[in-house]
Amino acid sequence: METPHLHQVSEWLWELPPTGGMRVPGRVYADSGLVEALREDQSLTQVANVAHLPGILCCSLAMPDIHFGYGFPIGGVAAFGVEDGVVSPGGVGYDINCGCRLLATDLQARDVRDRIRPLVDQLFRDVPSGVGSSGAIAKLPRKELERVLVRGAAWAVERGYGSALDLSHTEDGGALPGADPGAVSERAYVRGQDQVGTLGSGNHFLEVQVVEEIFDRDAAAAYGLFQDQVTVMVHCGSRGLGYQVCEDYLEVMAAATRRYRIELPDRQLACAPVTSPEGRQYLAAMACAANYAWANRQMIMHLTEGALLHALHVSPKQLNLRLVYDVAHNIAKVETHQVAAASIAACVHRKGATRAFGPGRAEVPPDHRAVGQPVLIPGDMGTASFVCKGTEEAMVQTFGSTCHGAGRVMSRAQALKRAKGRAIDKELAAAGVFVRSQGHKTLGEEMPEAYKDVERVVAVMDGAGISPRVARLRPLGVVKG
Amino acid sequence: VAEARRQWSPRDRAEAYTELDHPADLFLEIHGSDLPILFEKALCALYDQVAELEGFTARRDLTLAVEATGLAEALRALLAEALYRFATEGFVATGAEVTVEETGATRVRAVARLWGETADKLRHVLTTEVKAVTYHQLAVEALPGDGWRARVLLDV
Repeated sequence: METPHLHQVSEWLWELPPTGGMRVPGRVYADSGLVEALREDQSLTQVANVAHLPGILCCSLAMPDIHFGYGFPIGGVAAFGVEDGVVSPGGVGYDINCGCRLLATDLQARDVRDRIRPLVDQLFRDVPSGVGSSGAIAKLPRKELERVLVRGAAWAVERGYGSALDLSHTEDGGALPGADPGAVSERAYVRGQDQVGTLGSGNHFLEVQVVEEIFDRDAAAAYGLFQDQVTVMVHCGSRGLGYQVCEDYLEVMAAATRRYRIELPDRQLACAPVTSPEGRQYLAAMACAANYAWANRQMIMHLTEGALLHALHVSPKQLNLRLVYDVAHNIAKVETHQVAAASIAACVHRKGATRAFGPGRAEVPPDHRAVGQPVLIPGDMGTASFVCKGTEEAMVQTFGSTCHGAGRVMSRAQALKRAKGRAIDKELAAAGVFVRSQGHKTLGEEMPEAYKDVERVVAVMDGAGISPRVARLRPLGVVKG
Repeated sequence: VAEARRQWSPRDRAEAYTELDHPADLFLEIHGSDLPILFEKALCALYDQVAELEGFTARRDLTLAVEATGLAEALRALLAEALYRFATEGFVATGAEVTVEETGATRVRAVARLWGETADKLRHVLTTEVKAVTYHQLAVEALPGDGWRARVLLDV
């Protein structure tokens, strides 16, 4: 397929008109500079490919952090009618419910500035990270792991690792309904039995930050954020269990695509009708992996609290660690949306995209409901991350979705080449960011230059009215896997 | 017995594969004079990505057997099996011997005899968490003239 032709709709929105077998247009959020970079990128073809899928509603959407992914682009959003649409593991990705969690404290930057090294060292010791990291808690017996898959974050809270407020401040309360442990393979269980409470590797991180700038005082107050406050951000997902669920169901979906005679422009879009046995089974297994990820981040929050108390010599009351919010950015869920003035049950795929529900939605926690759902957008480890807010405009334009991060601009090999002969940790330290990592390779691959400018990505969605900025968070210390 | 088993040298590893440009993941191209060598080099590439192989020796054997439709799917299945055993047992190979045979009109069976050891975080360095061996642009093809080429994308 030729690279599709984009035309500009507004300052922040571009459209791919339907051609060939596309059932709906593609819509890409970007500024003119980001669009230029995309024109040579195969991810636009992937946006067009997704538009071929049965039952797709409105349009195949791409966020400004879009890049080439597996079947669906990363930074892609697609909603399908539950009655006539499909569900696809390629629209979720391997790291099911990879997501972000933001913790707030009562501490200010001056309280940690002189202790940032011992603090990051303590976090590095207490939260297992790196390739195949395991052992944060004892290996879980099969029945206990099944409870994790059904209860999600509540599994951890019920064991004393968190509070009811944590669940209220987690997307979907930290557990998707419909999780069926019987839909998860033995192999996935084996991979998941000792990884609850672990960070993993790659772009996953644990970051101590300071609130550098507030853009929206009312929303920041509703989220419990204030200038110069110390926060902690966690980015990780469902670890080996989630990877295995995706692996298992790609095979199931390849067979289902043939069985239901679904014509695809790319076999990586393998899918099944949402209501088919295969579609239901995938959603049941995916919910298990999503719930595992929420339990994982809840346990990491608990381990983080212990590390903060120990390294900073403060009391739990002085620290007052609390969950601002936890969002998924690789997931498929049945949600209710307004399409052409009708209320429709849609299976919304967000792959490298964040839910951004606006004010008044029942899914938004009561204490955030007046301003909209908190949206967490991590940047690279050298610059900044953002807290934004969901809007009514997002509900209208993007099925309540926005971007999920900066998005890579450089391949890992290019980044390693660029990092050769340099000490990335020392460069970051000179810029005021103390970093600990299991290996130099990850640091090179994940160096700040490897990513798009997060300020620019966030500015697009702010300008489009989808997810306006609430606060900018500057990193002080980072644990990388 | 272990001495008789050839270990991948730094040169073998460097020549086994090249990394193609990809914005987020590891896209590998592998060349081999025949199919067993192609599959062996692909295994070498996978292990070279997940660990620094210098610290590993051949302490135990592991045999992997897979069957799939077509050569590319058989290669992917073999690598996925090796990755699963790495993820669950920590097994890292330092050398391998592979057989590839057609078992039907389109079915292909690959058997790999691997030698290596279980990773020990105190002694070994693990470098990259590979999430999966994907079907993305997966290919095994005969080159005009002689030899074979494979392309495999690892999700990281």
